[in-house]
Amino acid sequence: MSYQNYVIAAYGVFFAVLLWDFVAPRIDLARQLRAARLRAARTQTRSANTEELSRAE
Amino acid sequence: MMASAARALIARDARLLWRRRGDALQPALFALLVVVLFALALGGEARALERVAAPVLWLASLLAGLLALDTLFRGDAEDGSLEQWMLAPVPLSWLVLVRTFMHWATTALPLLIATPVLGELLHLPRAQLPVLVGSLALGTPLLSLLGAVVAALTVGMRRSGILVALLALPLYVPVLVFGAGSVAVAAQGLDATAPLLLLGAGLVLALVLAPLAAAAAIRIALT
Amino acid sequence: MHPLVRWFHQLGSPPYFDRFAARWTPVAYIAGILVMAYGVWAALFQVPADYQQGDSFRILYIHVPAAWMSLFVFGLMAFYSAIALVWRIKLCEILAMACAPIGAAFTLITLATGSIWGKPMWGTWWDWDPRLTTELILLFLYLGVIGLYNAIEDRRSAARAAGLLAIVGVALLPVIRYSVVWWNSLHQGQTISLFGKSHMDASMLPPLFAMIVATKLWFIGSLLARARADNLRREAGKDWVLRLARGTEASR
Repeated sequence: MSYQNYVIAAYGVFFAVLLWDFVAPRIDLARQLRAARLRAARTQTRSANTEELSRAE
Repeated sequence: MMASAARALIARDARLLWRRRGDALQPALFALLVVVLFALALGGEARALERVAAPVLWLASLLAGLLALDTLFRGDAEDGSLEQWMLAPVPLSWLVLVRTFMHWATTALPLLIATPVLGELLHLPRAQLPVLVGSLALGTPLLSLLGAVVAALTVGMRRSGILVALLALPLYVPVLVFGAGSVAVAAQGLDATAPLLLLGAGLVLALVLAPLAAAAAIRIALT
Repeated sequence: MHPLVRWFHQLGSPPYFDRFAARWTPVAYIAGILVMAYGVWAALFQVPADYQQGDSFRILYIHVPAAWMSLFVFGLMAFYSAIALVWRIKLCEILAMACAPIGAAFTLITLATGSIWGKPMWGTWWDWDPRLTTELILLFLYLGVIGLYNAIEDRRSAARAAGLLAIVGVALLPVIRYSVVWWNSLHQGQTISLFGKSHMDASMLPPLFAMIVATKLWFIGSLLARARADNLRREAGKDWVLRLARGTEASR
């Protein structure tokens, strides 16, 4: 009986799951950094718009 | 102090239950429906049913208890009583224990009483009935206690229905194994004392530890 | 202060941990991949085929390390959770929750490779033997921790609640295992041993050791990567995160 297919399948599963395990945190990290950049851009425009608080008499 | 707190809580729960008497029948009705579904799915033939009657009854009780977990803390979480519990002079774990006992008495006890009738529907061999009821008597409080920990972890969550089941069922496995297994052992003509004693030991441990864990979980959930 | 103690305290600072994790993640991954490359090569091409099980025996070299990792990571997760619950250390909360998906991945590998190995051995894709059944319940426990962590809004309460579940799970795991062994002895006469009668010859051991080491190194890399991402998510509004994000954009 040829076990080759089973061995290939088992090792395939192993590497596929490890690949997912590698990629998932990288995606998460990229998303977090991107969210931080967008947040920084929003706070910048907000602070630029409310430069001076003045009493308009 | 602890005794009067327990009396007060039991009285309150009993009064609330009395106002909605019909609800107390719901777990038993659910178990009946589960029995019906199993009987239909298995083809309804007496010979096939009597072999699986005891495990099916165990599952019916287990699943009915699982669905009933929702009402364990929900009412008090919604109207703020749970926070009062946290501030009470008695230990939170004691209140959890009393509440879990009342919940078991009102949801699982009717099931226990209904078991002989449900057994007849599934052609349960008469000889298995005592062990079945005994294992349920030991197992359902244990399930309630384990379920209380899971319910406490998810208290205050809006749509936690399936999540509670997913968290609780793996923890229920040993109880189911020893409970249904004790009946299987008895059916083989052997002595079922060992698994029943294990259930009893688990129950004693859970009586002490589960309320503590549930209290910790409530504190985490309500901070 | 003793330098090691000071290092522990420094790790608790989110920006310091971010730098630490960013630096050591690739090291752990690369080391793990190198050892894994040797292990896989030796398992597939160097070790002779088993007398009884033929080439399917080679699956052992990924199945056993994955199984041990699935149990080890669960224990580690409960350990970190206990520290986080008692001492309220944020970093331990993060590390505990980062363990969960990695442990679930190893459990999945264990189940899948066990099933694939079982098909030529037992003739069936699945068998309710104690090991596989306990492993399946372990997977549910992992998914429960992950699900609970994701279901609660506040990250700190979520981590503490899921951590409590992990501790309850690790306490009940031996009970579950024992109950399934007992149930198995009740319902099925023989227990099917995965290894059969073949003993592990000394020449067959080096790739196994290599894979055990490799999976641990990989775990460290993955843990640091996931912990880093979670750390950033929790510290989202802080200045150092903005500076880091802008820094990475500038370097693109």
